[in-house]
Amino acid sequence: MALNPMHQFEVYKIGPEINLGKINLSFTNASLFMTISAMLILILLFFGTKKKSLIPSKIQLVTEMSYTFVAKMINDTAGTSAKSFFPFIFTLFMFILFCNMVGMMPYSFTVTSHIIVTFILAAFIFVGVTVVGFVKHGIKYLELFVPKGVPIVLLPLIVIIEIISYLSRPVSLSVRLFANMMAGHTMLKVFGGFVISLGLIGGWLPLSFSVALTGLEILVAFLQAYVFAILTCIYLNDALNLHH
Amino acid sequence: MKNLKEISTRLESAKKNINKREKINKSSNAASLGKALKISTELVAAVVVGTTIGFLLDNWFGTKPLLTICFFIMGVAAGILNVFRSAKRMHKKL
Repeated sequence: MALNPMHQFEVYKIGPEINLGKINLSFTNASLFMTISAMLILILLFFGTKKKSLIPSKIQLVTEMSYTFVAKMINDTAGTSAKSFFPFIFTLFMFILFCNMVGMMPYSFTVTSHIIVTFILAAFIFVGVTVVGFVKHGIKYLELFVPKGVPIVLLPLIVIIEIISYLSRPVSLSVRLFANMMAGHTMLKVFGGFVISLGLIGGWLPLSFSVALTGLEILVAFLQAYVFAILTCIYLNDALNLHH
Repeated sequence: MKNLKEISTRLESAKKNINKREKINKSSNAASLGKALKISTELVAAVVVGTTIGFLLDNWFGTKPLLTICFFIMGVAAGILNVFRSAKRMHKKL
């Protein structure tokens, strides 16, 4: 069990089984770690904004930095018209970041290493961005699929390619986060298994690799949350400003 | 009065320094690694989506291998388009 690198991804239920019709709604370890991440964000923001002093304490500094980081990201990629989407992007970024970071703790569970979690996040973004585009531009939003200056003969082909490109957004968004998290955690566990099987004499090399990989994984955990949020901003920019 | 002028000139030079530092940081921060990671999946995702659409349409119309092949090729084109677009976006920012 300790040597199986895929064992960490197992989902099991905690407490009683809850069935709603045919849907299994039991509380699992995945739901537990999502709740933990959400609670950690709430705690950070609560204590970070409690005492608003001019010279910030460390926790207030972290909160303010995360605010300015996301605000600057939205401003740079989607422009000022996307300012009203700040709460959404901020929630998304913080949730993914905390899920990834909580997953870096030993004995914890990485929620984002399951494709269903990341795909649902990406699918909601995809639907939301499409709805925003149609609300803002009406039927003119379909112009996104018709690039300017294309000869009419080529137009049917180009439109299909553009539609495939548009539909591939949620897939690439979700697969990127899922694959990076799963590959990284599997690799960590594989090297951890080498330490045990090689024993006291040969185990030092994989142990040092393991330490280095942990550092890399923390970087990847942050980067993937950042990339997820920034791509959401880019898609929002396409929907709001209607150009590529 | 003289003091105020001095302060304003010092402030301006400090602001210029901040701008310079930001410009240097922009090209070498961790965000560039994130950009590198995102391109590869963009190419693959479009191919997968295109092929899936072709496969479903084939099952629907009963034209077994034809539409899958067509949509596979279009998926490749869409993937290259995706990569091209994100590369252009990066170039614009630099």
